[in-house]
Amino acid sequence: MQYPKPVTRLIESYMKLPGIGEKTATRLAFFTINMDQEDVGEFSQALQEVQTKLHYCHICGNITDQEPCEICANEQRDQTQILVVEQPKDIMALENMHSYNGLYHVLGGVLSPVNGIGPDDLRIKQLVERLQHDDLITEVIVATNATSEGEATAMYLAKLIKPAQIKVTRLAHGLAVGADIEYADQMTLQRAVDGRQQI
Amino acid sequence: MYLQEIKLNNFRNYSQLDLQFDPHLNIFIGANAQGKTNLLEAILVLALVRSHRTSNNQELIKWGTDFSRLQALVQKDQSRVSLELILSSAGKKARLNQLEQKKLSQYVGQLNVILFAPEDLNLVKGSPSVRRRFIDMEIGQIDKIYLNNISKYRQILKQRNNYLKKLRSKKTSDKLYLEVISDQLAGFGSEIIATRYQFLQKIQHFLQPIHQEITQGQENLQLDYHTLAGDPAQKVNDIYQSLLTRLTQQAQHDIAFGSTSVGPHRDDFSFVVNQKDIQKFGSQGQQRSAVLSMKLAEIDLFHQEVGDYPILLLDDVLSELDQVRQTQLLQAIHERIQTFITTTSLDNVQIDKNNRPKIFNIKAGGII
Repeated sequence: MQYPKPVTRLIESYMKLPGIGEKTATRLAFFTINMDQEDVGEFSQALQEVQTKLHYCHICGNITDQEPCEICANEQRDQTQILVVEQPKDIMALENMHSYNGLYHVLGGVLSPVNGIGPDDLRIKQLVERLQHDDLITEVIVATNATSEGEATAMYLAKLIKPAQIKVTRLAHGLAVGADIEYADQMTLQRAVDGRQQI
Repeated sequence: MYLQEIKLNNFRNYSQLDLQFDPHLNIFIGANAQGKTNLLEAILVLALVRSHRTSNNQELIKWGTDFSRLQALVQKDQSRVSLELILSSAGKKARLNQLEQKKLSQYVGQLNVILFAPEDLNLVKGSPSVRRRFIDMEIGQIDKIYLNNISKYRQILKQRNNYLKKLRSKKTSDKLYLEVISDQLAGFGSEIIATRYQFLQKIQHFLQPIHQEITQGQENLQLDYHTLAGDPAQKVNDIYQSLLTRLTQQAQHDIAFGSTSVGPHRDDFSFVVNQKDIQKFGSQGQQRSAVLSMKLAEIDLFHQEVGDYPILLLDDVLSELDQVRQTQLLQAIHERIQTFITTTSLDNVQIDKNNRPKIFNIKAGGII
């Protein structure tokens, strides 16, 4: 026997989400059947709104419901620093730190010719234009991930920006805060030793 | 260290097998195509998570079954570790003392083996890729940073080659990224070259006296590393500089061919006896002696680096060696190294009866 059509449709919809297979989707679908009508309404509206109300900020590339986004519009923020990240969700992680007060720029990925991503497929041109039009910026902090693609992207940006006399910096690598040396893997330790600082 | 026990499920031609070993000498006897080498391969796969005979895991799984399981108990100086490896179409799973290891590199290195197979005679005769594979496997067992450098290097090389092809087909014209990726490649490449060179230096230290002895003082064996990236004896930083310069010089050429023409993936090393490269100018016998010396030197190097002797796997090689060399080999092994030998008949092997080897008769995927 097959489930009624609306249930099947819902199961199939849930299965489009990452990390959800048929079993979980079925459980979620049956849970949804018994949910408050109000909650369901809210849920479907929320789903709709992330598509209709959200867009990418034309300055930094972050997802936002304003134009420009909250961070770009905030004049209280330090206008001399731009922190470059791979994905919008990286901004959230950095904002939760509450100690960086500059601006952001989202690349939308990293350079990886194997995956067909070249410089033109990322928001690199937009970053360069931003730097050209904005004289206040004195430092670009590259916060791509510590993968080899992330490193290559960071180096690429550094080479691209350096001629414009703007300082380019890269996040530090090494031991995580609170980590024990004895449990750190050899690569991390090597990075930590290489990047040691005078105290 | 020595191997106490292995259990195999659905590995090659074995559906199920449970063997206890002698700490010194174990001999697998059987006719051709009965599964002698498969047993040595099982030990090697348990140690390195890859086979010397194939890069395709499916070939290791018994025909008609879904997965194969290999287990081993290894007795070390102070401790005993259990290893377990599951191979399936979904990939490899490695457990160390019953705990699954997310990174295979954490698992590799628990069991150290040295294999001496007839194919090893290719080490001198064969193409450069044979020697690169050899050197990567050997260093990888003792140096995890090297393993990481190799895998990063391969990844970046792939990116670079891919980008070169894009430049060639005029899909892009941005040379800046090529500069960046070349820089990155030179970074990992120079580390690899330096490590390989140091490894050859170290092994040469053990190799020379051994080879002198095997050849009764007539031959002086030396290992030379060849790279287009300048002198490998330089500091890592200098190798990096010269490799980067070469990569930059070769950029046009590389774009035209769509592949990278300099770097450790194109390097080689040679066996030089009395100033002559024996790949070109050596006799069969000289080449054989050189390989034998290399293998014996490896045992000593391992002992120095790891503090324990590795396990020696001799796949049908005794029959390839003359009596003098056989005696040399067995003397070097003596009592200190657990050894596994495969042979078609005991007549080919000169074994000191006092060693009391444990003998396994193998027939069609079973022990009789």
